[in-house]
Amino acid sequence: MGGLWIKRCSSNVLCGWRSSHAGFFTRAGERVEPLLSPWWSGTGGAERGLRRLRAWRRPSPSRDLTLQPPRRSKNTNPFTRAQEEEWRRRNKTVLTYVAAAAVGMLGASYAAVPLYRLYCQATGLGGSVVAGHASDQIETMVPVKDRIIKVTFNADVHASLQWNFRPQQTEIYVMPGETALAFYKAKNPTDKPVIGISTYNVVPFEAGQYFNKIQCFCFEEQRLNPQEEVDMPVFFYIDPEFAEDPRMVNVELITLSYTFFEAKEGHKLPVPGYN
Amino acid sequence: MSTAMNFGTKSFQPRPPDKGSFPLDHFGECKSFKEKFMKCLRDNNFENSLCRNESKEYLECRMDRQLMAQEPLEKLGFRDLIDGKPEAKDKC
Repeated sequence: MGGLWIKRCSSNVLCGWRSSHAGFFTRAGERVEPLLSPWWSGTGGAERGLRRLRAWRRPSPSRDLTLQPPRRSKNTNPFTRAQEEEWRRRNKTVLTYVAAAAVGMLGASYAAVPLYRLYCQATGLGGSVVAGHASDQIETMVPVKDRIIKVTFNADVHASLQWNFRPQQTEIYVMPGETALAFYKAKNPTDKPVIGISTYNVVPFEAGQYFNKIQCFCFEEQRLNPQEEVDMPVFFYIDPEFAEDPRMVNVELITLSYTFFEAKEGHKLPVPGYN
Repeated sequence: MSTAMNFGTKSFQPRPPDKGSFPLDHFGECKSFKEKFMKCLRDNNFENSLCRNESKEYLECRMDRQLMAQEPLEKLGFRDLIDGKPEAKDKC
């Protein structure tokens, strides 16, 4: 405690802040301000004298350093005390705003996940699922007769799968809003039953969001017995909103490409879901 | 699926079909309907709108033989073919 009094200060303002146990400043204490000047050494006798003169709430001098009342100005200068109060209040306000901004940023980063998902569904960015696409739309949709789209078909097989997989028509001319049927053929030339699972791809990617399959043979295991040949139909339609999308004005050709992979027994391929 | 794993490029997101997967026609029960449909396509220069009757018949064949879930034809987009048949004849 004595160490605090040793430092000689230049102005009363700083000294007032430094004197740590001048925590309480009554009116009576103002009269004894000269006694509290910093170059006094805080001896025990001076402490006792000061305590008699001022009504201190401190029970013992040794605890003065640690027990500081909150929001008490440590300034002994009454003229600058109001300003310091103002500064302190403003600091608190700024700190509150900064803390609120930090919490807000944290909340926004958590909220961004579902919000972005909604945005993607609304705009169909990146070929994601367009919200509001319902199966009863098929009943009410009207074919757009002035847009004829050529759909070509492609068939691929993974190297380890020994099927003969090919489309049965090279192309088909279809209108948006009209359901269409197309066939692929697959043959298992080996002597063992083989299970395959397929996925598909639509080029161009932006048109892929308008390409809706009602029923097909993809994403489920298809088992072919030895020397068996089957027809695999694809029942699809192009969304009539395709004709109203300005990005699709120049799209005349859509390519549907299926690829078959070999599926191991009991191994489930993750089916893409709406998420 | 796109193999170009660039951050900015749009990639294709495959979607599952609305009504799931067709069971395989192991016994070729609807093969004749399919052949009719393919022949119609080849005759009409692969125009789908001219062969919708044949595709409807193929799907009806599948539904009859439990190779496809039963659905009213309106839900499959054949509304004009069901009640429009007498109208189409008049237009011809």
